[in-house]
Amino acid sequence: MTKKINKKNNKKNNKKNKKNVKVDPITLQVIGGALHTSAREMGHVLYRMSFSSIIRESEDLGAGLFDANFQTLSESDSTPLHIGSIPGYLRGIQDTLQDGEWFEGDVVVHNHPYHGSSHSPDLAIAIPVFWKGELVGFSANTAHHIDIGAATPGLIIDIRDVYAEGMLFSGIKLYRKGERNDAIWQFMESNSRTAKMLIDDIEAQIASARLGEQRMKELISEYGIDTFKSACNELLNYTERMMRQQIKAIPDGIYRADGWCDDDGRNRDKKLPIKVAVKVKGDNVTVDLTGSADQVPTAYNVPFEGSTKVAVYCAFRSLLLDQAETEVYIPSNEGSFRPIEVIAPEGSIFNPKFPAAAEARFTQCNRVIDCIYRALSPVMPEKITAGNSASLSFISYAGLRPSGDYWVFLEVNEGSYGARARKDGPDSIDNLMCNTRNNPLEDLGMHLPMVCERYELRDDVMPGAGRQRGGIGVVKAQRVLTDGVITHECDRHTDVPWGAFGGSEGAVGRVQRYNIKGNKQITEMPAKFSDVDINADDVIAFYGPCGGGYGNPLDRPAEQVLEDVLDDFCTIEHAKKAYGVIVTKDLKLDHKATKTLRSEMSK
Amino acid sequence: MAKIGVDVGGTFTDLILEKGPRDVYVHKVPSTPEDQSLGVIRGITEICEIGQIARKEIELIVHGTTVATNITLENNGSEVGMLTSRGFRDILHIARHKRPYNFSLQFDVPWQSKPMVKRRNRIPITERVMPPNGKIVTPLNEKEVIEACKLFKQRDIEAVIICFMFSFLNSKHELLAKKIVQKELPGVYISTSCEVIDVIREYERFSTTAMNGYVGPKTSNYINNLANSLKKEGFKSELRIMQSNGGVATVDMTTEKPVTILMSGPAGGVIGGKWAGNLSKEKNIITVDIGGTSADISTIPNSEIRIMNPRDTYVGDYPILAPMIDLATIGAGGGSIAFIDKGGAFRVGPKSAGADPGPACYSKGGSEPTVTDAQVALGRLDVDRFLGGDMTINPDLSNKVIEKKLAKPLNMSVKDAALGIIKVINSNMALAIRANSVARGYDPRKFSLMPFGGAGPLHGVALANEVAAKEVIVPPAPGINAAIGLLETDMKYEFTRSAPLVLENATKKDFDRINRALSDLEKLCRERLSADGIIKKQQKIIRIAECRYHGQGFELRAELPNGKLNSNNKNIVINNFHKQHNLDYGYTFGSDQVEIMTLRVVGIASVKPMTWPKLKPLAKGKSNAKSLKDAFLYNRKTTFDDGKTVTCPRYNRDKLLAGQKISGPAIVIQHNSTTLIPPKHKAYVSTYGNIHIQKN
Repeated sequence: MTKKINKKNNKKNNKKNKKNVKVDPITLQVIGGALHTSAREMGHVLYRMSFSSIIRESEDLGAGLFDANFQTLSESDSTPLHIGSIPGYLRGIQDTLQDGEWFEGDVVVHNHPYHGSSHSPDLAIAIPVFWKGELVGFSANTAHHIDIGAATPGLIIDIRDVYAEGMLFSGIKLYRKGERNDAIWQFMESNSRTAKMLIDDIEAQIASARLGEQRMKELISEYGIDTFKSACNELLNYTERMMRQQIKAIPDGIYRADGWCDDDGRNRDKKLPIKVAVKVKGDNVTVDLTGSADQVPTAYNVPFEGSTKVAVYCAFRSLLLDQAETEVYIPSNEGSFRPIEVIAPEGSIFNPKFPAAAEARFTQCNRVIDCIYRALSPVMPEKITAGNSASLSFISYAGLRPSGDYWVFLEVNEGSYGARARKDGPDSIDNLMCNTRNNPLEDLGMHLPMVCERYELRDDVMPGAGRQRGGIGVVKAQRVLTDGVITHECDRHTDVPWGAFGGSEGAVGRVQRYNIKGNKQITEMPAKFSDVDINADDVIAFYGPCGGGYGNPLDRPAEQVLEDVLDDFCTIEHAKKAYGVIVTKDLKLDHKATKTLRSEMSK
Repeated sequence: MAKIGVDVGGTFTDLILEKGPRDVYVHKVPSTPEDQSLGVIRGITEICEIGQIARKEIELIVHGTTVATNITLENNGSEVGMLTSRGFRDILHIARHKRPYNFSLQFDVPWQSKPMVKRRNRIPITERVMPPNGKIVTPLNEKEVIEACKLFKQRDIEAVIICFMFSFLNSKHELLAKKIVQKELPGVYISTSCEVIDVIREYERFSTTAMNGYVGPKTSNYINNLANSLKKEGFKSELRIMQSNGGVATVDMTTEKPVTILMSGPAGGVIGGKWAGNLSKEKNIITVDIGGTSADISTIPNSEIRIMNPRDTYVGDYPILAPMIDLATIGAGGGSIAFIDKGGAFRVGPKSAGADPGPACYSKGGSEPTVTDAQVALGRLDVDRFLGGDMTINPDLSNKVIEKKLAKPLNMSVKDAALGIIKVINSNMALAIRANSVARGYDPRKFSLMPFGGAGPLHGVALANEVAAKEVIVPPAPGINAAIGLLETDMKYEFTRSAPLVLENATKKDFDRINRALSDLEKLCRERLSADGIIKKQQKIIRIAECRYHGQGFELRAELPNGKLNSNNKNIVINNFHKQHNLDYGYTFGSDQVEIMTLRVVGIASVKPMTWPKLKPLAKGKSNAKSLKDAFLYNRKTTFDDGKTVTCPRYNRDKLLAGQKISGPAIVIQHNSTTLIPPKHKAYVSTYGNIHIQKN
């Protein structure tokens, strides 16, 4: 049975939303727990069922439940950028929806960057949840697909406009009133280099979204629609309250920081400024990106709704509702977004105008977050981090198999953290808004004509020194066994992660290319490059940036520096030069020499 | 055959002695955390006296131990050295490069800040095996291995692990390096990744191997010492150790692979649940083992204990690819603390008052309201019969602390606040039950919920109602159910081999390879069982193919057909896999190719089920009401979950007879457990003493 509703009805329903019943704190807790568990189950089904390694191994996906006004009720514990972006997708779907209205049994696919998507390869699957004929919410997820038929395989940077990004879906129904729209499926099959994976992974997304729909209906049937809605509203209010309390504790004022991105992937000599002003007033905060670079002619732009805003939300959730510091679970929902406003002028890199391409947007987002922390450092020294890698290395390797089929592999390389007031910065780990899993090297070697040559901590540079040291970046060297083509989306080859409160700055990243069987001559590559042909036995070696230090290095206990030397986190020379600690050749502390040197250095 | 089961918990060491058919004794002694074996030996010698049996007549002792688990909790494992492939020194440091939290800046990364193997002891060795066929392109540099051993010797390394890339394709280098280390460092504890767990994915394999080395020396010392002490004490029986996979294994097997006993503790309870279900011929059971700080939950469909897919198995922060019973542990127990957080939300757990200071009513200085305090405030735990009168409690302290910390701030009565504590903790547990049952495709309406552990039977009915289980079954001895499980545990050995094969394209040569591997693995199982004195007729072999759709990342288990695998019967595996995929995810990719990844063979020898004494039946002619009077203790005011306070009778469980019926409200008290039968519920006592509770 399907029931037709029109937009008018939708509005009426929204009004009905405001009818509040009082929900006791205990029932509230029960409904909150069930919403969270459901979202986690959705994420679980999605990555377990899927085929492409970017979803099944890296978990580059998000899933959650939403109310009829597109507010996030709960979300899976997967990649932060995904889960924060789904409300933007739902709003975009509402504007473009096939038929102009929702029916029970609809399944919608959507990825249009100028209608709320995070970027075009992240396809959303959304299912409306109806209760007794009324649209009461949505179950939805997003996942990164390895190829949607863009100008180049996998990733894209140096392209002219959004049409070169591949298939754009806006409000398209894969199922309409429960009936499969065979035409659109058939269309997709002939428009992706990796069509089978694309189709199968969309099926996994649908299975996940259907599970969410079922879970939401179970909850409503158990507690009644009025209690359910009121509980959801109260959960949103609760999270909002927690967020506002924390904002209020920050002294009012305007805090600024800036930095730059290397280039746009085409115009190598043009640095792209990033300017961040954090304006705190009472329990509200505004992040103003005015003054940042104008939009660029390549795909290195950031969709405003689906990515820029989400990045800012993510920055404040991590800073103010730090999960490691709060004893209790605070529901991850729309409430945390409400006190935060984001400003980016239209036509800037953070709010590009149609039809600019905007696929390669991650590093800019991470830099905004990093700048927010730097801006707030004078008033929140205990809560921020020193400079992070704050970029992302996203690389696509592709080639043709002898059969003529494409193989495409997407890899997310890790970053590192800046040091914190009481802890060193974690080494070689996903940074800020990114939190994927690496692809097992053995899995890779079994499926694709590639093999890893090296995967460990960098030893060509030292991380930022300080009372707490910065995190150490990774080195990952991947070799292709047949000819192919690569595209790399990255940044941070020129702007060094900053050191905080006397800590020294970290280290920039680098990318090298050489042939393991040829003359082994090393070519230094820029951070971003598009559609580069590579030959069999070529190696691409990525070196991740290292985080900045925190506090005066002379305050780091000499014993701790010795431990670092023993573990090769620090060389004997660096211990002396940066920390004033003398470690002998047989790896013992020379206390006396250390004392002398340290007192000299502190003058 | 006389057997003893001994289960070590945080507070008590529980024992059971089965002297012969229907001749069973139970005992409890305080645990001795600094050296578990002291409590174990004391308990075993005492229970022999209680049962009046000579030590030499005991034929089997089965031990459930938390010794390996505690090493991981307390982070006090051995100094481990690692040999690994050059260029890959930091696989354990980087892990899967995912942070423990999505939204945090001040987080800790345990595998970096407290590593199982320090970086200084991770020594890269030149060698190389290439995918996808395991070809050696760079031979092992033996000199480097010898140099590393010298360094390890200087550093007093207690355990050495050998973890090379792609060793699941070719184990030659790992085994060669092992030989060298054995020669250079005699007596050191050695683990190779291909022998600990021969599967694809370097981080998970290395992590499992590292854990084996980390807990290895201490765990094997403990077990060897215990075995020797028992001999000294005059016991001639074999010692068997409970494994995480719900089987028992020999001392040798366990000391070689202690990573397989990390979940030894809770495993006994699940098996005890299955056993108690069988007493009432109930095959579908959800077990809920509630202790002071945590609850263990497991779903047993059709009397089959489920084993987790080893890709999902974690111990603490580390993936440990050892077969484990599918059970979930959550921080919810009698000691869980209730509080109001900064945003005004009502919370219970996971923080616990533990045993010390414990709940406020223990009068040991506990100043936070706990679940036990709520039960006391609601009149469900009687002051004079707490732990059979072994311990006195003060209900005033419960009331006061609930009033101060919850009722007043929330402007509600103490009664409502106490009811709230119970409701929230039950809801937390119900969510975990649902995740372990419904989410795996099992319909709780077809299952009986079995609560045990000291606190279990207080929550049973509420949990069953919340997850819509068909009834509650309270086992005869809820407090020692896990120890009973130990005596019901099969001998069980498991061996795996990595054997990637897309079934649709398989040639005769491929099937030959698979069949050879299967027969190798079966031989290994049979050798172990035969060494345990199990004759071939009693050996049961289960053969499993861990499969996925070609290109997927996660395997599910499909049973293999009997006999040799060939092109005629391969469809049986394929269909079994489709079925499992549908059960787990509600979807099948019908036209996709199915790929075997790992072969697993399990060798099992069933033990003879324990013959539990039948309960004395109701005397003929004597009415239910009349004989219930014999078990009646007294009436007291009790508040149930519906908020109503009623006069509620107490019965002594030891005096209940088979066939007896009780209508709620009623409370049944036994030495270490209290069973709640709320209003509108009825209970009956089964032939063997299970209490079944259902809605009217």
